[in-house]
Amino acid sequence: MNAIIVSAILGVVMMFSGMFTKHKSTITLTAIAALFILLGANLLNSYGIFSIQVNTHELLYFNKLGLYFNTILIAATLIFVLLSGREIENVGINTAEYYALIFFVLCGTTILTSFNGLLMLFLGIEIMSIPLYILTGAEKRNLKSNEASLKYFLMGAFSTGIMLMGIALLYGATGSFALSGQSVLPPSVGIPGASFLQAGGLILLFVSMCFKVSAAPFHFWTPDVYDGAPTVFTSFMATIVKAAGFFAFIKVFDANAALLGPSWKILLSIVIIATLFVGNITAVFQRSIKRMLAYSSIAQAGFMLFALYSYNDMAYQGILLYTVAYCLATIGFFAVLMKVKDYTFDGLNGLAAASPVLAFAATVFLLSLAGIPLTAGFFAKYYMLASVVKAGGALWIVIAAVLFAAVSVYYYFKVIQSMYFKEGQPELNEISTGFKVGVLLLAAGIITIGVLPSIVLNWLYF
Amino acid sequence: MSTIQILFFFLSTLAIFSSIMVLVSKNPVHSVLWLIAVFFAISGHYILLNAQFLAIVNLIVYAGAIMVLFLFVIMLMNLNAATEPRKNWWMKLTGVVSGGCFLMVLVSLVRQATEITGKNVLMKTGDIGLIKNLGKALFSDFVVPFEISSVLFLSAMVGAVVIGKKD
Repeated sequence: MNAIIVSAILGVVMMFSGMFTKHKSTITLTAIAALFILLGANLLNSYGIFSIQVNTHELLYFNKLGLYFNTILIAATLIFVLLSGREIENVGINTAEYYALIFFVLCGTTILTSFNGLLMLFLGIEIMSIPLYILTGAEKRNLKSNEASLKYFLMGAFSTGIMLMGIALLYGATGSFALSGQSVLPPSVGIPGASFLQAGGLILLFVSMCFKVSAAPFHFWTPDVYDGAPTVFTSFMATIVKAAGFFAFIKVFDANAALLGPSWKILLSIVIIATLFVGNITAVFQRSIKRMLAYSSIAQAGFMLFALYSYNDMAYQGILLYTVAYCLATIGFFAVLMKVKDYTFDGLNGLAAASPVLAFAATVFLLSLAGIPLTAGFFAKYYMLASVVKAGGALWIVIAAVLFAAVSVYYYFKVIQSMYFKEGQPELNEISTGFKVGVLLLAAGIITIGVLPSIVLNWLYF
Repeated sequence: MSTIQILFFFLSTLAIFSSIMVLVSKNPVHSVLWLIAVFFAISGHYILLNAQFLAIVNLIVYAGAIMVLFLFVIMLMNLNAATEPRKNWWMKLTGVVSGGCFLMVLVSLVRQATEITGKNVLMKTGDIGLIKNLGKALFSDFVVPFEISSVLFLSAMVGAVVIGKKD
């Protein structure tokens, strides 16, 4: 409960901070301090030292896993603001409001890591989404940003409608908002243990959650929105928000997958393969790195969906590790990309000569995204695939996933190739020493996790 | 026939007549005005069913807010009888089929519901629609989502200001 209350209050504080100072850097510093406070509040809650007790009538449920996941998300936001705070200041004049909206998003993600009912799931998803529609359209003079914002808003509103329809059907079947309610209607033919209302509701819920995490048949908004949004906010959307969406997705269907029976696995494997296919194959043909990253984030979502396929301890460890690896690498790479003025592959030509530190860090981030051994991304992908093997799932999906991961190496290495092996003079923004140290530390962190993944996972048990 | 029954039949006739008028009026603004009449008639039904809160909310939300939006849209698009687009024959057929399906569901629902046959009003009995019960549920079982939704509205308000403010 700490993080929900504190993030809402800090959001209001950030909103008013714009009144007292005109210096944007002061607002960023306030935001960093506020994020430390939020992280501290969540840690106090996880270790039971101090937690605000509220009778939630079992609508919220705090366990070790959810709190730890929330800690990861807040820490990732902190890293994001530390690295890219300067870029947030450059988006527009409403810096204080952007930070306030980021804190409201964090309030939503906290609810998504601790909900215990469909009502709170809906509220969490909405609190997470609505600030994002605004952040997407933050660059008001840019037509692409406006288009992306409107598109995201309309599509998001439809998916919310679909989710509400699903929740309504589930409520009709069970008479409660509980995650795994007992149906009061007789079970239908072909779906053991679930009535047709429940099955229909779950499918609608599945569709809307697929939309939120941009899984394949519902991914069409992703490239346009990620491409149109200001690059800082793309970085935020593609990492923290998406990870929180995944956690909620897994939590909902962990409780309900058994109801849908064997058809559930077939449905899910189709979605996984489609997501991997669309993400990886389309990313190959992109000219803009920002758009390539949007498709690669669809591809990474395909890997994260494996945690839904296999519900075991390894799947939860895998999603934790994947979140850490994916968030760190993507935030880092976007931070480097924002220092370059031209987002095409050619814009990075000769970056290694112009700024060796940036090129090296970017290489580590890309290797991690591709899942090369000795980086965090390798163990993340390994845990995901191993969980499917352990659950006794179909081996063919694992093989397909490995093949698609090999495809992804192509487009990630194309960036490395243009940085190191092509001649050119990249136009760079001003790069501070602190930023260089920051990305190097982040790269070092990724390699450390890649060598010792247990330093992330062990915290789950302490 | 008691007063209540007379009232019930009056409201029902009003609702059905107005909804037919919504469909057959050529002028869209007249359609909207007839729709407001439908909402008032239905709110009257809610009061007969002892659901005062629902009646008031129905008036505020539908007759108030949504109708104004409808009128805005009609005025912005400058619709009138002359510019009415020719409807596709297939569109009409799909409309009839889907509307017929909905009618079938409703009729079968009413026929199956034995507990309401032969009754038309619930004056002073039943307390589902009273504001007291809603308030109790909202401030005991559902107090956490009730409070947390304030964050949602706050973020929407901040967003509206951010989007709407001049740079």
